[in-house]
Amino acid sequence: MLKIIEENKKNEIIKYCFERFGLKQENLESYHWYEGSKNRIFIGPRKVNRINPESIGLCIFRLDKTPKPTTNFIQLFGKSIKKNYIILTKTETLKICKGEDLRNKIEIEPGFIALKYNDMSLGCAHWNGKVIKNQIPKSKFCNINFL
Amino acid sequence: MQKFQTIREGIGKRYNSLVNNTKKFTKAINEPLKQTFRVNSIKGDKEEIIDQIRNYDSNLKKISWYDDAFETNLTNLGSSIQHFSGQIYIQELTSMVPPLIVSDLIKEKTVLDCCAAPGSKTTQMAEIMNNEGHIIANDARHGRIKSLRGNLDRLGITNTTVTLRDFNSFPNTEADVYFVDAPCSSEGTIRKKNVVARKWKLHDYERFSKLQKNLLKKACEMAPKGSTIIYSTCTFAPEENENVISQILDEENVFLKKININGLKLGNGITNWKENDYNKDVKKCARIWPHHNDTDAFFLARIEKC
Repeated sequence: MLKIIEENKKNEIIKYCFERFGLKQENLESYHWYEGSKNRIFIGPRKVNRINPESIGLCIFRLDKTPKPTTNFIQLFGKSIKKNYIILTKTETLKICKGEDLRNKIEIEPGFIALKYNDMSLGCAHWNGKVIKNQIPKSKFCNINFL
Repeated sequence: MQKFQTIREGIGKRYNSLVNNTKKFTKAINEPLKQTFRVNSIKGDKEEIIDQIRNYDSNLKKISWYDDAFETNLTNLGSSIQHFSGQIYIQELTSMVPPLIVSDLIKEKTVLDCCAAPGSKTTQMAEIMNNEGHIIANDARHGRIKSLRGNLDRLGITNTTVTLRDFNSFPNTEADVYFVDAPCSSEGTIRKKNVVARKWKLHDYERFSKLQKNLLKKACEMAPKGSTIIYSTCTFAPEENENVISQILDEENVFLKKININGLKLGNGITNWKENDYNKDVKKCARIWPHHNDTDAFFLARIEKC
């Protein structure tokens, strides 16, 4: 069951998006925000009375101990992400799409990062200072033949 | 293989009397279709996406009647990085037509897609609407909702509410446009799916016709005055097409509007079939024949609520 998100949670995510990815508030404020099961945060259209939805809009975050961006979020707002992203090589992109982690050394503060290939935003990963842990959902993993 | 051929012959024979060139029609339904796709501009610039895909297929063909649609000689664009990132959606050309009929109507409006999964038309509408306005995408089967949800996520669609409900019991909901892309015998996809050939049964027409009429009647009943209802199927069968529309015209306070898409050859609806005469207005419906545009077959009706 989706409910309208509490304002403080929404502000927490907007603040995180700005601090972590340089994403401006105006990128996110035109949406209606909802909270679903398992702390999932959705942005979408207004809720319609009398309809019991399975989902509204797009799941963009999970609010556990810290906010965790989804791959949907990174792919949709990737063009507006100004920091804490890495540009992958062809080989790295193939690995990421297959679901593998990367063992690159990168100069980024540990936390969630955006993965890009050229101008294309591929998804989310977690950098713990040693490994770039793939956070793309298993259901999206595939062997890329055309890159 | 022989069995599939025989069923294709059966379809050919059943509808030969409806087409203007039986030779071309029979030839067309026996030829496989090329893979087609459309660009999702929500996820990137169209020209840049196409330039990248031309690196894999230099003979990429633009579809004359829809700027976002392309035909490729490749059979597995589903394993491209553009598909992974949601920049393209692999879709039959005929399936791209219903949203185009009302592309000028739906921006910033409310659209109710009654049988939405797997989301080809829903995601196309969302793109036309520039991810604004509101789409309510409903489907009756849980398994199909999963594929709908997956496609909405992959293409970055934010203006859609997904509901799981038998449309016959859907709460009355005001919208500007209703899409009834009804379950059908799917004969029109015979060029692509051998599964259609395996399942082709004559008695299906009656079953589907009843289901389709109920869905369309429900949409017509809940539609407010001045709204538009688009009915579509991917079958040749008049029992599931003109027959359904004719009954709705006789029973509901609606009228038909002629359909036109620049560059796409459309046939008229037929007014009689197997000793049944239909409401004369069904001529305004559109039939897409495989041999006219080198596509699947499709049927469309644009219904306006009085």
